[in-house]
Parts: sequence; structure tokens; C-alpha cells
Amino acid sequence: MPSSAKPLPYTDTKLVGAADFYYAINATFRFVLKKSGIEGLRRYWTDLGAGYFAPVMVRWRTGGLPAVAAYWRAFFAAEPGAEVEVHQSSDVVTLDVKVCPAIKHLRAHGREIVPCFCQHCYFVGEAMVAPAGLTVRVEGGNGSCRQTFLRHHIVSAPQDLALIKEAAC
Amino acid sequence: MLGCYDFCGHYEWTFEWLRQQGGESLVREYWDEAIHRDSQRHAAALIAAKGIAGMKEYWGHTLADEGAGYYCAATSATFRIDMHECPSKGFLLRNVLRRYHDYCDHCMGWIGPLLKQCGWVVDHEHNHCGQCWWELRRADDPTPPSESGKMSGTHDVRQRADWLPPHGTMDVYERANNPDDKTTRKAD
Repeated sequence: MPSSAKPLPYTDTKLVGAADFYYAINATFRFVLKKSGIEGLRRYWTDLGAGYFAPVMVRWRTGGLPAVAAYWRAFFAAEPGAEVEVHQSSDVVTLDVKVCPAIKHLRAHGREIVPCFCQHCYFVGEAMVAPAGLTVRVEGGNGSCRQTFLRHHIVSAPQDLALIKEAAC
Repeated sequence: MLGCYDFCGHYEWTFEWLRQQGGESLVREYWDEAIHRDSQRHAAALIAAKGIAGMKEYWGHTLADEGAGYYCAATSATFRIDMHECPSKGFLLRNVLRRYHDYCDHCMGWIGPLLKQCGWVVDHEHNHCGQCWWELRRADDPTPPSESGKMSGTHDVRQRADWLPPHGTMDVYERANNPDDKTTRKAD
């Protein structure tokens, strides 16, 4: 398989990630929020989506929605404890996140979760998909949610952040 | 969503993002506050309560989970790790990810202050290629680092043929707790 056809742009020797790294993701959000406020944290997420995830964006720009679906299937297969269904139609890819692996692990170990934790899925995701002419909408959160990736021109309203729940332990 | 599978990739990316926001001091503050005092607070609790037994418990679990190739050795006074395949640096090398100038500093960035708080100091060398060694001792123990092979026998990373990579640089810490308290020397 040529590297451009692989759904994930990176490879590792292990099959799934180490769940304790969710502690560091949560702690990083808390640190940036404390230092830079919510707008700074959203800027971090947006920069991360456009910068670190640029190789994913390239795959999505060339591969369209099938590449989006393939990415998320491979992504969640490597996240320990995830229970996610990925559905694809001609216009939409939907992630039905039944069990968010990050919230599950943080909650199981009594970690105080940054309340706006679930917003990162919107801000990182939107920065990843925008160059591909797509957009994402997130609804739910705090352990389960629905994320919908669709063509930008068929969406009229912006993401309503009130539809993304605050996370709690 | 940010995942844990490629965590080391966006973690390394974040170092440089923070450096651009607030300089190296913000990166050091991040390692200490977010990683040592928040993310890895379970490590601090174990080591503060149990000393070397806590180190065995923490690193035995976490390095196995991360898929490291490593060897641990301990006496009643010293805990040693020989890292032959750092899972974290290995991920970056394998995927050609290098945004921050010295990723390896992050370990001393959070472990150093953690151990200082518990009364320990660190002798440590890393070769920026996924190999390093650590010896941890009480701050009031003046014993120098062990000679090659003395504590971990043939598992001693310093006995590897590729320990000193051609044209590479070696970072050396002596009885340190600060990520900047190091000397850097050419490996060849």
C-alpha cells in the first residue's frame, strides 16, 4: 500500500496507545487554559489541527469523505477502550462515539476533567477538514457524542458550542 | 479527537507551540506544572511514598504500557534504567517528526523536579537516538554513577555499539534536577 493510501499518516510498533497519555492531554488543556484563557486554548487546538495534522488533511483533501471515514476507523481502532461506529454515505461521515476512550479513562482514574475538554474535537477537527472543503459538527460529549463530517456548502449554520456538553468526572 | 496512539507526535508539536508563545521558560513551566504536577502526579505519589519500590512500580508499568525496550536494575540505594528503545523518541524518529529542538529534554523537564521534591538527584545521558540511561540516588548520597556494566551487566546501554552515534550529540546530566543543567558534547 503506498504511504498516501494509509489511513493514518504515522506508524508505530504497538497496536494501541497507552491510555495514561490521556492524563497528559487533559493536563495540557488545563495548562493552556490557565495561561491563555479559552481563546488561547481554542487557538492551540486550531493551530494543532492545521499544523500537526496537516498530513491527515492532505489525505482528506485528495481522498474526500472515504478517506475521512478510513482515518477515523483506523484512529479509533488504536485508542484503548473506544467504542465508535463510523458510518459513511455519499455526503456525510458520522462518528457515533458510544464510549469516548479519553473521558472513560480520565473518569475511571478520578482525574478532574477540563470542562471544555470535548470542544477540542470541534476545533481540532474543523481545522483539519476546512482545507478539504468539509466541515464538522459535534453534538453531545462528556463520554459519548456524535460527530458529523460533511461538505461545507450544505451547512448553513455554524457549530453551536452549546450543543457540546461540558465534561465532568 | 486527540489520541493516545500518536500522543508523542502532538506532545512534541506542543513543545514548539509553547516555545513560540512564551519562550523556553514556558516550555519548562509546562513540563513541571502540567506533566509533573498534573498528568504524572501518580508517579510523584508513588515515589514520594515508596522510594525505589515506587520507582519500580511506576516505571515497570508505564514503560511496559508504552512498549519500551528497557532494563531496570536497583540496589537499596540506587535505581537505574537502561533505555534501549525509547518508545517516545522512537515514534518521532520512525515518523520523521521534529519540530522542537530537543525532545529528549522533556524527561528531565518533569522527572527532574519530581525527584527533587522527593529528595533525589539524577545522573543521566541520552544520545538523541532513542537510547539513554538514568541513575537515581538520594540527594545526600555522594556516590558517582556506576561504571559501565556494573549495575545492569550486558543490559547496560553504554555497551551498545551504537551508543555513541557518528556526528551525534550526547547530553550529560550529573546529579541534576533541571532540564537545562546539562553539558552537550559531540559523540565522536
